[in-house]
Amino acid sequence: MVTQKKHRIGIVGVPPLSIIKHIASPDHEIFDLDEPQGRIDIETASPLLPRVYCGILRTVIANSLAIQPELIYIDTGSGKCDCAVHTATVLDDILPNCRILRTRNNDSTGFGIPLCKARMKLTDKMAAITATVQNPHPYLDNIAPCTPTAGFWGVPPRDFSLLEFFPDTTHIYGWTRCMENKTPDNLDLEMHYNPDIPTVFFAQSFCAKTALASHLASRHPYALYLDCDVTAGSSAKAKIQAFLELSEK
Amino acid sequence: MLLADFGTTYCKLLDTHSVDAPRLMATNTIDRKTMKVDIATGHNGKRYAKQYVNELTALARGGLTLIRKKTFTLLDCGSRDIKYVTYNDGKIKDMGWNAECGASMGFTIELLEKYYNLDFSKMPIPKSAFSITCGVLGMSNIFDAVVNGENEVEAVAKFVKGIALNAYDFAKRPRELYLSGGLCGNPLFVGSLPCPVISLGRFVLLEGLQATLQSSDCL
Repeated sequence: MVTQKKHRIGIVGVPPLSIIKHIASPDHEIFDLDEPQGRIDIETASPLLPRVYCGILRTVIANSLAIQPELIYIDTGSGKCDCAVHTATVLDDILPNCRILRTRNNDSTGFGIPLCKARMKLTDKMAAITATVQNPHPYLDNIAPCTPTAGFWGVPPRDFSLLEFFPDTTHIYGWTRCMENKTPDNLDLEMHYNPDIPTVFFAQSFCAKTALASHLASRHPYALYLDCDVTAGSSAKAKIQAFLELSEK
Repeated sequence: MLLADFGTTYCKLLDTHSVDAPRLMATNTIDRKTMKVDIATGHNGKRYAKQYVNELTALARGGLTLIRKKTFTLLDCGSRDIKYVTYNDGKIKDMGWNAECGASMGFTIELLEKYYNLDFSKMPIPKSAFSITCGVLGMSNIFDAVVNGENEVEAVAKFVKGIALNAYDFAKRPRELYLSGGLCGNPLFVGSLPCPVISLGRFVLLEGLQATLQSSDCL
């Protein structure tokens, strides 16, 4: 039996729904290049991007070098970030056999945010949300919301171990919420938070969103601003642990 | 019960069954093989304790015990790092822990004190300060100043004031500051902070461990 080789497609950010509908097929193997893929060493990106740069985009470069996709869809609009614009230029140069297609996701039809409000271990919830990027179909199951006792605002962190201390009743806010809703360029949704629950405002170090995270944390009555680079160090984890412990009523 | 705050340079020990004050000992004099305590905090605490309490949690609980106000900012300046907690109306409002960039402040000040044989209680607070983000990187300011003819004592004083201003900025510039840690005993550092300062001494984290002991966590 002859098995047909699948086309390897990389995505960076949230591609427009029209593209996801097109590539979500058994003929394609999709790689979310924003996420660590196996044991690929992030330092392979160091000769190509400054080390003092967003850890997620350094991951994109390291993944792309190792996986060698045939095609990469990279969001270079305001649904992602300016750094992605320049990363796309670098990818163009270093991957001559790969087509780099720049997209701008201005989708405005909301798919809903049931996972962000669900009762679930936060690491599992975050993984489930990032997996929705590759799924063009609306939710079929009814996922009941829980009453929140804590909040996590921000992008999916590069290191999910950061999320281990949060209770299962943590609601997710910020760009992750936009991601699940498939409207990554929705600033109003991104800026929304719940002032009644202790919330960690997170951004990757060296990301422009550190400004928004820090600003919103200063407006929130019970907030912790936190930025982390490639991995979550012990002091970052201790801050979260202490903040949540001390915020318990 | 034996409680301990295992700092980078000094270890603070309290026996809750004793009327004696907490003991202070240099961390490098600890017998690593035999040292065992019941509850610990601090960088090296996990190694020696049956139960470990996060340093920020210990700081906050110690602050709540000692300060008895609903709104306050408490900054702990240790040898290796600085950390703070801010309470507003009885609820945690903000916190920070600077363990890497911006660190080694207390340790560097102690090194300079010994190297230049200084007495910080007799040094006047300088009018200006070096712009300093971390103890290690800030040292070059002192060397540059001395090379350019400045008095060593004056240069170190500007360095210490720079560190104090950096710590104050890190704590988000409160109107009034509660201070804990070894630098409470440094009049030059305390006097360089640009707001009213209430020094609580270096045993605040031990107070936090006592509060933990009394809470349901340990019952």
